[in-house]
Amino acid sequence: MENTIYIRLRHRVEVKENERIRLKDVALIIAPENILPTLENLCIYEVTKEDKNTIIIDGMQVIKHITFQTNESEIQLIGPPQTIIEVVYKKSRLSFPIFLIVWFLLFIGSAFTIMNFHEDVSMQLVHQKLFYLLTGIKDSKPLVFQIPYSIGLGLGMILFFNHVFKKRINEEPSPLEVEMFNYQQAIDQYLVMHENKERMKKIHDR
Amino acid sequence: MIAKILFVIIVGLACGLAVGAGFVAFITVLSIIPRLMQLTKTMTKILYYEAAVVLGVVSGAWLSLQEPVFSINRYFLLVFGLFYGVFVGMLSAALTEVLNVFPLLAKRIKLQERLLYLLMAMVFGKIFGSLFHWIFFVDM
Repeated sequence: MENTIYIRLRHRVEVKENERIRLKDVALIIAPENILPTLENLCIYEVTKEDKNTIIIDGMQVIKHITFQTNESEIQLIGPPQTIIEVVYKKSRLSFPIFLIVWFLLFIGSAFTIMNFHEDVSMQLVHQKLFYLLTGIKDSKPLVFQIPYSIGLGLGMILFFNHVFKKRINEEPSPLEVEMFNYQQAIDQYLVMHENKERMKKIHDR
Repeated sequence: MIAKILFVIIVGLACGLAVGAGFVAFITVLSIIPRLMQLTKTMTKILYYEAAVVLGVVSGAWLSLQEPVFSINRYFLLVFGLFYGVFVGMLSAALTEVLNVFPLLAKRIKLQERLLYLLMAMVFGKIFGSLFHWIFFVDM
């Protein structure tokens, strides 16, 4: 088993347009020393304009390339059966005005939705009543109660998302990060199933 | 008479069961308690937290039905208000998260690096909206 080549495909790789993808870009390789350099620089794929954003490189494709190049027969594929290649066209940074628009969209939106929510559940009445129940004082505008309530509203959101203006309370990922991860995973899974032609076999392909 | 009373007791119990179960389900879906435990690293105290929620619901129900009047100093309500607000804030943050607003926004308009600022937009929006509501809007 001395000549066994172990290949572990990476899950997700970013490349530039018109780049030649070499094996070492998409995979971790363990192989006998004499063939390792050739394997690392083995060209797996060449990115063209028609590829658009994503390319899926299937493990079988990789094995085919390797056997074609080196005549090695023992190849062990470990880990994910395919790599998702994301073609990054020139760094598309968002312009500042658009960012500002989104910021104000969220700001104004959440300001008015919280007001709608308060009206919806008659929060003012509840607050007045609660204030009376607890203090015995009738006050139509119990601001002593409501101002800390409003500040607490923001604190609660920060607490939930585990962000205190960039400083973390602890090292575990926040639900937002977990959610972003799940979303990315779902997209990746979709891409693997739909963009990978080797994964599908339809009736009229036969 | 006894049959009537028994019937009312059963109906009341059933209503309470349904509402209580609904409340717990809501809290569970939004996973606020796990979040708090994760933040404070107190996973082992889960039973006490459950008890806190149940006691809170029961005493809230009792307060709103019996309407007793206490005479606590009004400045104590600063603390009550703050806790109340933090809880509602967590609720609304959890709701935003359940609705997947942020992952979508970030992906669609490529805002991964500035996500935090957008989060702050929502936080300030909530605080501003709430203050505006209590100080000016209710008088209009």
